[in-house]
Amino acid sequence: MNDKIRNFSIIAHIDHGKSTLADRILELTDTVSKREMVNSQILDSLDLEQERGITIKLNVVQIKYKAKDGEEYTFHLIDTPGHVDFSYEVSRSLAACDGAILVVDASQGIEAQTLANTYLALDNDLEILPVINKIDLPSADIERTKKEIEDVIGLDCSEAPCISAKSGENVEDVLEGIVKHLPCPKGNADDPLRALVFDSYYDSYRGVVVFICIKDGSVKVGDHIRMLHSGTEYEVTELGVKTPNEVKRERLEAGEVGYLCASIKSIKDVFIGDTITSVERPCREALPGYRKMNPMVYCGMYPTDNNKYNDLRDALEKLQLNDSSLTFEAESSKALGFGFRLGFLGLLHMEVVQERLEREYGLNLIATAPSVVYKVTLTDKTEVYIDNPSMMPDNTLIDHIEEPYVRASIMVPNEFIGPVMELSQNKRGIYKDMVYLDDNRNQLIYEMPLSEIIFEYFDKLKSVSRGYASLDYELIGYRQSSLVKMDILLNGEVIDALSIIVHKDFAYDRGHKITVKLKELLPKQQFEIPVQAAIGNKVIARTNIKSLRKDVLAKCYGGDVSRKKKLLEKQKEGKKRMKAVGSVEIPQEAFMAVLALDDDKN
Amino acid sequence: MTRTDHLYIHVPFCKTICAYCDFCHVVYREETAERWLKRLEEDFAEIKDEGYSTVYIGGGTPSSLNIRQLRELLDIVRPFSRKTEEYTIEINPESIDEEKVLLLKEYGINRVSIGLQSSDERLLKLMNRHHSFEDVRKTVELLRKHGLINISLDVLYSLPSQTMDDLKKTVKDVLELDVPHVSLYSLTIEKGTIFDRLGYQPLDEETEADMYEYIGKELTDKGYIHYEIANFAKEGFQSRHNLGYWNYDDYRGMSCGAVGKIHHKRYTMTSDLKDYLEKKDIMEVEDIATREEAFENIMMSLRTIYGLDLKLFKERYGIDFTDEYKDAIEKNKDHLLIKDDHCICKDGEILNTILIDFIKE
Repeated sequence: MNDKIRNFSIIAHIDHGKSTLADRILELTDTVSKREMVNSQILDSLDLEQERGITIKLNVVQIKYKAKDGEEYTFHLIDTPGHVDFSYEVSRSLAACDGAILVVDASQGIEAQTLANTYLALDNDLEILPVINKIDLPSADIERTKKEIEDVIGLDCSEAPCISAKSGENVEDVLEGIVKHLPCPKGNADDPLRALVFDSYYDSYRGVVVFICIKDGSVKVGDHIRMLHSGTEYEVTELGVKTPNEVKRERLEAGEVGYLCASIKSIKDVFIGDTITSVERPCREALPGYRKMNPMVYCGMYPTDNNKYNDLRDALEKLQLNDSSLTFEAESSKALGFGFRLGFLGLLHMEVVQERLEREYGLNLIATAPSVVYKVTLTDKTEVYIDNPSMMPDNTLIDHIEEPYVRASIMVPNEFIGPVMELSQNKRGIYKDMVYLDDNRNQLIYEMPLSEIIFEYFDKLKSVSRGYASLDYELIGYRQSSLVKMDILLNGEVIDALSIIVHKDFAYDRGHKITVKLKELLPKQQFEIPVQAAIGNKVIARTNIKSLRKDVLAKCYGGDVSRKKKLLEKQKEGKKRMKAVGSVEIPQEAFMAVLALDDDKN
Repeated sequence: MTRTDHLYIHVPFCKTICAYCDFCHVVYREETAERWLKRLEEDFAEIKDEGYSTVYIGGGTPSSLNIRQLRELLDIVRPFSRKTEEYTIEINPESIDEEKVLLLKEYGINRVSIGLQSSDERLLKLMNRHHSFEDVRKTVELLRKHGLINISLDVLYSLPSQTMDDLKKTVKDVLELDVPHVSLYSLTIEKGTIFDRLGYQPLDEETEADMYEYIGKELTDKGYIHYEIANFAKEGFQSRHNLGYWNYDDYRGMSCGAVGKIHHKRYTMTSDLKDYLEKKDIMEVEDIATREEAFENIMMSLRTIYGLDLKLFKERYGIDFTDEYKDAIEKNKDHLLIKDDHCICKDGEILNTILIDFIKE
């Protein structure tokens, strides 16, 4: 047992300062020099992570810290994503830890994801060290935040460090707190090897690089190892730790967190949550793994240029090497040609994937509106799962449809309870409970269809509460609903990629809004285009896009040739992002329009 | 044919600034105009061209110069305007008088373009124009009195708050003056203009299209040839200078804010008068790649009813038009007419949409 090691994560609600604290810790322990810090937030290494200030992929770093007791400690900081979409990844990283730092913004207090992540940590039997951050803000209320943590979560805050991760004030206390309050790993280096696989990525030179936490025993280069879940065996070719650069090591032992390479050809051969043991001296029992989380949201992605289909497939395969939660399979659409059905953990995950495909692989894509997976029972009692609205069987063949429901937990200050309840009700939410957290903050519990959360619930929640409400949700199963498929017709033709599943009571309203929105979004073409919404053969809403009559900016002084040309080139660029469907050109935004209708011009 | 045949001179001065204008302009001051004339003279000293078949003095408002300065300007241009067939100057009613008209005649100017913009007092005021329709009528009479009959009127439509009735009245007034050439431009609100800064919005597309159709019908009914998207002329009075642009001949541009194209290079003069006077970054030169120039040629030539000369196109760029742009031509076959080695666009009002298909990736 190595009492000089601490393995921990930092958990927090988004924007409470998790990455900033991680940066300060790296800086204070000289793990990363000030100069390297210039490119701030070291752990967020994907471009997108830095740009959006979110952490998507977890990462691990080894830190040496000389404590006030004179001893040198080895910390392994395992980063976790902050967004609700990625709670699966959070639980993965937590399983590799013995403790967690809970960062709470002293000006905001506890938020929905603070709670959700804390519960995940408690589920994993982690010790939690609460840290009060942003004490330098004028609106910081340290005592109240401490009281809230004590009352709501039941954590003792008497010794909680109060810090400003931004300025570095009192961050030293966090390091001492880690030594003092978080436990060391319990494993024994002499026992048979048991290592938990908590992440992996693909490297074209070394094969799959597996991130492991050694719970028991030790492993060295040349050892023969076995993956208990898949039963495959390999010879270890490389071991190391991240500081955050990779440092090769001959051996890793109980308590250490690092990486392992063993000429593993495909990411599919590695199961996250699997246990690695030794072939010669196997362990008796696997570590408790974790359930693979299934995608919750699906959408179609199609190249605007049909010739780029193979490029898209290549890009998806590459992306999947580093993102095992992404699923895809080929599908085709009458309107959009050949593309893929992609499965995501949530909407942010979907956005991130689309942006990476466009940015890192230079693809122009059309994404169809996201859909949940419907469970459809046919009249002959067979069950089918439908993740693409256009594949919904004919109404006459359906006995009933079920849709996924979630339990949504919303943290909200008193003054916004009314609007949040109204919004949730409008989104078919079923009120379950309201918990008073303190004299101004409440936790509302609703059960509602996941599809309604996708339909802008999150954005609307932020707007009706002026940003003060926060949301977390978990899947609670399928429930029967009165749902129908609504088709959208352009120029008399059903555009399959625009079909959506709606609740019967909302069909007319949504049909009307979609047709109006499409009228705004579709550029005028050289002929008139009727836009219709229909259920079965019945048209329930209709607008007309008048034909284009005049487009020339008739002013043309000899000199403005180059300006005029630039204008045309810009329009051409815009057209590239459109999809020609029959004789109608449809811009990318139109496919998402079926979602973003709820603004009501408010 | 590589001869540069057309000369444009930009006079950047105006008495007042119009609300829609984003051309290079400054409020006229006598001393600044003096300095500008000196600078222009230096630039002209470097030109070795033999002379131009068309010369166009535009602005700004060339007539805002005082009579002595105007004479000086025409003197500077004189060596290049001896063989000129069409010599145009732009004027505004409030800065022209009989003395200036006589001067224009003396120097061989044979075409005058008057800024009318509208005959409606309210709209003129909105545009910050300081003349009335009556002033324009008198200017036309003055020019005719001295034999300057090749007169063009500049009119703007689709103005903020303009109604169809407002436009009909202006068209009626224009027709009454019976000048041989009229340019009718639909307003674009450009960044940085007074209209833009005051937050004016253009009229909706439908009204603009209605106006465009009305203008086309009224003027052709009265015997004008709608020879370019925004230009109408009685037979024989088409602007040769502008046809030069649309034919995409080479042209030279002088003074700040002007653009020229000579031997596959584009010269863009600074639009900052101060830089021009101090000779700071006065010119940007850009090589135009053959394909780019070919597209620009198509873009310009499809604006007129005479269309693109396919033989000349092949001669200039070595590109066979019908071959190279097969897909774009097929896609737009309802709007294009190819005959007698020319390609003509039948629906100029949607030319943008058609042209986009001719842009190569």
